[in-house]
Amino acid sequence: MTDPYKTLGIPQNASDEEVKRAYRELAKKYHPDNYVDNPLADLAQEKMKEINEAYDIITKSRKNAGGGQSGYSSGYSSGGSAYQGAGNYAAVRQAINQGNLQYAEQLLNASSTRDAEWNFLMGSLNYKRGWLDDARSFFQRACAMEPGNMEYQQALQMATQMNSPYRRTGYGPPSEQGMDMCDMCTAMMCVNMMCNGCR
Amino acid sequence: MFGYVTPELPELKVREYQRFRALYCGLCRELGRRYGLTGRMILNYDFVFLAALLSEGEETCAYCMRRCPVHPLRRRCVCTASPALAAAADMSVILAYRKLEDGVADSRGLKKLGYRLARAFLSRSYKKAALARPAFDETVRRELAALYELEKAGSVSLDATADKFASLLACAAGEAGESARRPLHELLYHVGRIVYIADAWADLGEDFRKGEYNPVAARFGLTDGKPTNEAREAVLTTLMGSSRLAAAAFELLPAGYWTPVTENIVYLGIPKMILKVLDGTYRVRKPGLPKEPERVTGGTESEP
Repeated sequence: MTDPYKTLGIPQNASDEEVKRAYRELAKKYHPDNYVDNPLADLAQEKMKEINEAYDIITKSRKNAGGGQSGYSSGYSSGGSAYQGAGNYAAVRQAINQGNLQYAEQLLNASSTRDAEWNFLMGSLNYKRGWLDDARSFFQRACAMEPGNMEYQQALQMATQMNSPYRRTGYGPPSEQGMDMCDMCTAMMCVNMMCNGCR
Repeated sequence: MFGYVTPELPELKVREYQRFRALYCGLCRELGRRYGLTGRMILNYDFVFLAALLSEGEETCAYCMRRCPVHPLRRRCVCTASPALAAAADMSVILAYRKLEDGVADSRGLKKLGYRLARAFLSRSYKKAALARPAFDETVRRELAALYELEKAGSVSLDATADKFASLLACAAGEAGESARRPLHELLYHVGRIVYIADAWADLGEDFRKGEYNPVAARFGLTDGKPTNEAREAVLTTLMGSSRLAAAAFELLPAGYWTPVTENIVYLGIPKMILKVLDGTYRVRKPGLPKEPERVTGGTESEP
C-alpha cells in the first residue's frame, strides 16, 4: 500500500478539513458518473477505490489518535448499469459492456430488424468507441421511434451535453460559451435523481 | 493539420510558461540533432504537447542554456535530450513525410513538383526515423491509406474519417510507460478526432473553391461551402464531447512535472480552440517561439 497522503496529494500534516476537501475533489473527479460508457471506466474505478481506501486509513488513524472527525467513511459507491434486454440484444448489450465492440457491431449488422432498441444499441456502441456524431444520430432515431423510453432519453442527453470539460482547479472553463460550474453541478444532481428513480 | 493544440498562454503561471518554452526549444534542438536543419523546419506545437504527455509522471526535467541558429544572439533555456523528445521528434518526421506523400498523390502541376521537392528533402530523415519507429510508421501508412480511400469514396460519416487520423495519433501512446498507455491512447484518440474535425471545418471554404472532398460538407450535405447553424451546433456538441472524454482520460494519467502545462492544454487550450475555430476566428499557430501575450487580456481597451 502506498502512502495514503500521497494518494490524496496532501502533506502529512494537513488538517482534517484539508483531507476532506482533497478527498471530495478527487472523488468528484473519478466518480463513475464521469465515466459512464467510457472504455476507461475500470481504471477510474480502481482510482476511486484507492482514494476511498486512503481516506479511510487517514480518518481511522486520526480517530484512533483522538481529535479527528469522521467524514463520509463509506465513500461513493460505484453504480453499475442495470441493463435488461431480450434475445439477441442481450448478447449485444453484454458485448458492449465487456468492451467487445467488434463482436457487438457484427451482431447488430447481422440483425434484420432496425427498431428503436437497435438504434439505441448502435448509438451506445458508437459512443463507447468515441464516435460521438454518429452516436448522437442513432440516439436521436431511437428516441424518435420510442419517445417514452427513459433509457434512450438519458443516453441522448448524455451525448448532447454541451458543456466544456469539468476542471477542478483554477479559473473555470473558457468563458464565451457553455455552462458554468453551477450548471454542471445542477445537471449532475438531476441525472443522479433520475438514476435513483429508475432503480 | 498542425498547430491546433496549444496552451492558453495567459492562464499559465510564469514558471509553467517557461517550462513550455524550454520544451518547445528542446524538441527543436532534438529535431536538429537528429535530422539537421530540415528536421527543425517541421517543428510544431502538437508534438510539443505529445512530448509533454510522453514525459508525464516524471518528477523533474533537466535544462541547459544553448544558442540556436534561429536565435543566435541570446542563449535560451532548453530541455536536454530525453526519450520522450526523441520519440516526438521521430514521429513528427514520419508523419510530415507521409503527409507529403499524400500531397504528391493528390495535387497536380507546379504544386505536385513542390511536394515532390519537399519530400526529397525529407526522405533521408524519414528513412532514419522509420527505422527507429517501425510500428508507428506502419500504422501511419495504414491509417492514412484507409483515410485516403474513405475520402475518395466521399464518406458521409464524420466519425469514420476522423477515426483514421485519431487512430494514427493514438498509436503514439505505444511509446509511453505501461501504466499510462491505455489512458494516453484514449486521450490521443480524442485529440486526433478534434484536430481532424476542426481542421475540416476550417477548410470548408477552401475545399469548396477547389472542388475537393470535405468531411464536414459531406456529413451535413453542404453544397455552397458555407456552414449552417445546425451543422455548427452538431459539430460543437461533438467536439466538446470529445474534449470532455479527453479530459476524463487525462485524469487517469500519472501526475508529475508536466501536469500543469498539459492540464492547461486539455482543459483550456483545446476547448477555446474549438470555440474559435467554429467562430472562424482561429488562426493556426505558425511555428515560432510562443510569445508572451502582447496585450493585457480581460481589460477594456481605450484611447489615451
